[in-house]
Amino acid sequence: MIRVEHYLVLSAILFAIGAIGFLVRRNVIVALMSIELMLNAVNLTLVAFNRMHLHHTGQMFTFFIIAVAAAEAAVGLAIVLAVYRNRRTIRTDQADQLKGLAMERVFDLYPATHFSLLGVILGLPLLGAFINGVFGKRLGRDAVRATGLMVMGAAFLTAVVAFGALVHHAHTLQDAAGNATQNPRLVWIAWKWLTLSLGEAKGLTNLQVGFAIDPLSATMMLVVTGVGFLIHLYSSSYMWKDPGFYRFFAYLNLFVFSMLVLILGDTLPMLFVGWEGVGLCSYLLIGFWFDEEKNAAAGKKAFIANRVGDFGILVGTAMLLHYTGSLDFQGMIANSGRLMEEVTVWPIGNAPMLFSSPIKVYAATLCGLALFLGCTGKSAQIPLYVWLPDAMAGPTPVSALIHAATMVTAGVYLICRLSPIFALSPATMAVIATTGALTALFAASIGLVQNDIKKVLAYSTVSQLGYMFLGVGVGAFSDGFFHVFTHAFFKACLFLGAGSVIHAMHARIHDTDASQDMRNMGGLRKHMPYTHATYLVSCLAIAGVPLTAGFFSKDEILAKTWEVTVIGARAANQWAPPAWLGKVLFVIGILAATMTAFYMFRTYFLTFWGEFRGWRVVPGWKDPHGHHGHDDHHGHDEFEPGEGRDHIEGPVPHESPWQMTVPLGVLAFFAIAAGYLNAKIIGETIHVHALTWLDHWLEPVFRRANALVNTPEFNAGHAWALAVPGMLAAAVGIGFAYFNYIVKGGEFTEKLAESAPGLHELMLDKWRVDELYEATVLGAVDELASTAVVADKWIIDGILAKFSSLLVAGLGHALRLVQTGRIQVYAAGMVVGTVAVAAFLYLPHSEAEVNGGDSGVYKVKAAGGVGYKFRWDADGDGKPDSQDFGSVGEIEVRVEPGKSKTVVLEVRNAFGRTQRREIVVARPLRDGQSAALDGVLPDNQPKAVIR
Amino acid sequence: MGVYIALSPLLILVLGGCGLMLAEAFGRFSEDGGDEGPSSELSLGSAVCLLAAALMAMGLWIKGPETIEGFQKVAPYLILDRFTLFFTMVTCLGGALASLLAGGYLPEHKLDRGEFYSLLMFSTIGCVVLAASGDLLSLFLGLETMSLGVYALTGFRRGSTRSTEAALKYFLLGSFAAALLLYGGALLYGATGHTDLVGIGKALAADQGLPWPMVIFGFAMILVGLAFKVSAVPFHMWAPDAYEGAPTPAMTFMAVAVKSAAFAMMLRLLVHSFSSPGFTSWGSGWPPVLAFLAVLSMTVANLVAGRQESVKRMLAYSSVAHAGYVLVGVVSMTRLGDEAQASVLLYLLAYTVSTAGALGSLILIGSRGAEAVSYEDLAGIGRRHPAAALAMSFFLLSLAGVPPSAGFFAKMYVFRGAIGAGYYWLAIIGLLNSVLGAYYYLRVMVYMYMREPAPGAPVAVPMRSGLVTAALVLSALFVIVLGVLPGSGLSMALQAVARG
Repeated sequence: MIRVEHYLVLSAILFAIGAIGFLVRRNVIVALMSIELMLNAVNLTLVAFNRMHLHHTGQMFTFFIIAVAAAEAAVGLAIVLAVYRNRRTIRTDQADQLKGLAMERVFDLYPATHFSLLGVILGLPLLGAFINGVFGKRLGRDAVRATGLMVMGAAFLTAVVAFGALVHHAHTLQDAAGNATQNPRLVWIAWKWLTLSLGEAKGLTNLQVGFAIDPLSATMMLVVTGVGFLIHLYSSSYMWKDPGFYRFFAYLNLFVFSMLVLILGDTLPMLFVGWEGVGLCSYLLIGFWFDEEKNAAAGKKAFIANRVGDFGILVGTAMLLHYTGSLDFQGMIANSGRLMEEVTVWPIGNAPMLFSSPIKVYAATLCGLALFLGCTGKSAQIPLYVWLPDAMAGPTPVSALIHAATMVTAGVYLICRLSPIFALSPATMAVIATTGALTALFAASIGLVQNDIKKVLAYSTVSQLGYMFLGVGVGAFSDGFFHVFTHAFFKACLFLGAGSVIHAMHARIHDTDASQDMRNMGGLRKHMPYTHATYLVSCLAIAGVPLTAGFFSKDEILAKTWEVTVIGARAANQWAPPAWLGKVLFVIGILAATMTAFYMFRTYFLTFWGEFRGWRVVPGWKDPHGHHGHDDHHGHDEFEPGEGRDHIEGPVPHESPWQMTVPLGVLAFFAIAAGYLNAKIIGETIHVHALTWLDHWLEPVFRRANALVNTPEFNAGHAWALAVPGMLAAAVGIGFAYFNYIVKGGEFTEKLAESAPGLHELMLDKWRVDELYEATVLGAVDELASTAVVADKWIIDGILAKFSSLLVAGLGHALRLVQTGRIQVYAAGMVVGTVAVAAFLYLPHSEAEVNGGDSGVYKVKAAGGVGYKFRWDADGDGKPDSQDFGSVGEIEVRVEPGKSKTVVLEVRNAFGRTQRREIVVARPLRDGQSAALDGVLPDNQPKAVIR
Repeated sequence: MGVYIALSPLLILVLGGCGLMLAEAFGRFSEDGGDEGPSSELSLGSAVCLLAAALMAMGLWIKGPETIEGFQKVAPYLILDRFTLFFTMVTCLGGALASLLAGGYLPEHKLDRGEFYSLLMFSTIGCVVLAASGDLLSLFLGLETMSLGVYALTGFRRGSTRSTEAALKYFLLGSFAAALLLYGGALLYGATGHTDLVGIGKALAADQGLPWPMVIFGFAMILVGLAFKVSAVPFHMWAPDAYEGAPTPAMTFMAVAVKSAAFAMMLRLLVHSFSSPGFTSWGSGWPPVLAFLAVLSMTVANLVAGRQESVKRMLAYSSVAHAGYVLVGVVSMTRLGDEAQASVLLYLLAYTVSTAGALGSLILIGSRGAEAVSYEDLAGIGRRHPAAALAMSFFLLSLAGVPPSAGFFAKMYVFRGAIGAGYYWLAIIGLLNSVLGAYYYLRVMVYMYMREPAPGAPVAVPMRSGLVTAALVLSALFVIVLGVLPGSGLSMALQAVARG
């Protein structure tokens, strides 16, 4: 006799096969058969149970099911026949057209000229910021986290849909050979802002609140929402204990919104709105722990440095409006020819001046330089880079998202966006390239000697941004942008890895500076394998080790620096940069790359190799002071860095929770994989188009600009020869770091520092640039900043109000998208719902309520459940009152007036899963005030709290 | 003998359905429809049968079903109590309205085939059986009888791709859900040894060494199957497609009778089988699941409905949203008991007549070959055909819940129940959603009264049909009576749910 369990297993398998068949097969007949299979599985179950219970009901049921199934099949076949007569196919869809069809449906809802899906992408983070900002304090951490993660996840998914739509749109614009005929753009004009009169000659221009995606902005959008989501996830654990958790998420969401405005804005003023918005958020987040003087000062510094840059943007915008008569990027680029007008910059007006021979400059050069000034501010280039290293005072996830992956690359993005205008003037381009190369070298030199791990990463960011500017400055726009793309992954990974290490250091060292000091770390390889692996991968990428993403992007920039010349508009008596400039910049770039490889591996070896130097590791050690937050504490352990081992004891350093390690893993994966989107050197050599995908994708964006640049044809031998110095730089840098820190234990560099103490001091003090600025320009800038704040608020507030009304409409749109008309999609929706219901029922839920309170006796009642068993700890000894789970669902506790008592409830359900909950029952001083739940009473009254 | 009297509404329906089928087979109807087509006779015939069944149920109600000798002979397969009678009245009323509407609609749109009416009758039988069943066996039979008929009705416009596609979707997903429900039922039978709902409930409440994992999985599947049948988000996706593709009278029937019967089934199952403390606790059990589905249904459906271009599809989504409101009432049942359950019943009655009226008005506004479907079609109707526009506005206002209509009091009782049960947040979300809902109902009126059709666009001409007018008058009567005397409706619903 077969046991009933076997029947059950068999029928469950059959049922599952039927359900899966229904979900994945597209032939209607097969779907119908799958359903019949499910019904037969039910029959089998019934027969088995019938036998178990030994009565006839199950059999009767089976006969009914057979009869009804036959009728069902008849009706079903009739319907199938009707469908076949109408459509000549019985497939539930045409699989090969499906992708196209889905995109067609997207375009039904969102035509290319009114692509309001962008409103959804923008609106979701804004909604999150609103909910978390306004209600966050009341909602509690769980809800704040859920809101933040959900809006970011949804924004990322919507961005993927929009990206897919753009790819589809690009396909429709291709000619027969597969080359793009024009730049694919999906535009959404939310409303018309104002109309400007430019005088009689030039007429009117409209300033619209318009957004658009093209290959450039769509790629950037994916990075911002994708990396943004990962960093939200990371923060949900990293910031968990912080009292400002909700505030943090509100700012972070607001930042993503502003960044998206910056990227998606279709006009220069819209970009500027986003530009200011990200600045504001950055400022708020740097000063997140504003009770610390240092952090507030850092925030202020960032603000002021950015104001200087913003001045450049405003001047550039005004000039562009004057010359091109337009404010949107399309119009500016279309009319960029008008910028080739000579402007007399000296003497000013008719005033008699010294050196009265006039100096004339092209308007294009002036515009470019003015805009570039703005870029140096936002993207931390010489001379305005000083704020970024200080900005690391903010929480580490902020450093990763804002000050590494996204906001600081806005300057590069702006130059890419207006590349046809920048490329008009070889002089501007030379300034950009030179500034970039010098910044790369300068910042790398400071990074060599810093001891604070976040400071090193900060200078490395400045240095990498320099590479990006070098790339776009020599006319390799797509390569410069490609470095933005790869850098976002590996630098975010490095910062988050550093955060993970700091998280571990905080187990014992609570002082901000000490916990970030690499001299206190070491040997963490053993304790944090996951963080170690991802950090190593990202270090390899940033050092430019071949076959990593960093190699492909950095190498391509350096090669182009050597080869490419900017021709510009070929105007008469136009200044041309000397031919040796490219070679010099190449050498500077290689030098900086060597330093980069060295200092990155310096951090790696100091942190993860050798002996742990933070404290003496005592397994099972417990913190007598209770748990602390992360970056936010002043220390109470006064001793020299690196000498902690002799002074204090501490626990075994721990790996971070999954919310932190999963983003690390994903980012590390992309730190390698992202490179293959544009592995030109390999792709061109072996003629595989897929490896130069990004270049093709961005080609229509940069077509106009590339025409102003002389790029030699790809030559494999040449390209590999130019790649050798870069590879050597990586090898030398890493090798030297290994030799010095592992083989020699740091002796070598110590001697070096001793032999030139002045230079070492100077580098440690960051070349004393801060002091220089302090003495000269700061005072003057203060005034400018305060007036700009007012404008900022006005603009942001106006935008906020308008968007909330659009949001309801936008959400409806997004939901409608799910309704694709495909049966399988619907069925899959049902399955997701089923799984959610089943998961809810599978997990125990230890809800409880507190009643009573007459003369101090409270009844704690656990919510019952199917198959629930309870275990209580009411006497407060930390151990359950009974070893076994019982059916007692309600207990009484006696509490003295003004005192409270903790009751621990454990619930175990039928699946053997348990959930634990602490209930604090507090009795007021005077009876009659009820002991309410969950903080209904004002804060100063005792209450019963359920944790 | 007594048992036949107790069963008389069902018997009337069965005999009537068979009679209609014979009449359709042997009657001489003109092929091209018109005044001589099958609808001319059969529509009224089926409406009379359905209303007769409803009246019979009313008679039994007045006499009191428990006074009839032998009313328990068919228990537990069919439970003949006031609950059954109430739903018999509601579903028969819905069926009657749908068949009256079909009488006007089918000839007008060249679909005049007589089987519509017998299918409708048989489907109604399924609805009544479903509401009356106290056993998984008869419940399954009722469910399938109801569904099979409705699948066929959905694909009634055989030559239309949309209609057949809608039928296919509804059929495949419906059978899929039925299989889930059935599997859940089989697991429960295995765990408890009972197929009758009360027996299952007693076994579950006794809590003596049952295989709980099996029970819980069975329970989860039953919940999902129920959610599908009442088209709660996220199990709703079939509904808009099926509703839009079906001929409008069939859509009326689906939105009205089928949905009410599905809710009756849900109430029976939850009250009889899953009312032990474990299943009604907020920690584990159906209240949190259904509350979540309610919130999702209201919010998603209202958001999406606002974005629709087709009035018919908008009404389909609005029916999903209404399922959400009803679920609020179901959730309140755990703390408030009969009072909340009564509000659910009343809501279903009010919703039945309002929806049937609104869809009837939509039918009325379209005529031969040109159905009024989109908002554009309705532009300017208010000026050209004030009566049709007035009817439409009247029923939409009731759906939106504007006092003193049936819809207002139905919503009020449901939300009052939620507040009484302490689910303030459910009530607030529900109220916010009502506001959201009012937007798209009022949008129809904006089009009717404040827009003019685009020049050159085809202009909808209302049809002339006594049958449709009769259906509208009947629904309007109910909407007004329930709006003016909501107390009588509520007290009736309270009697229906009181367990004797």
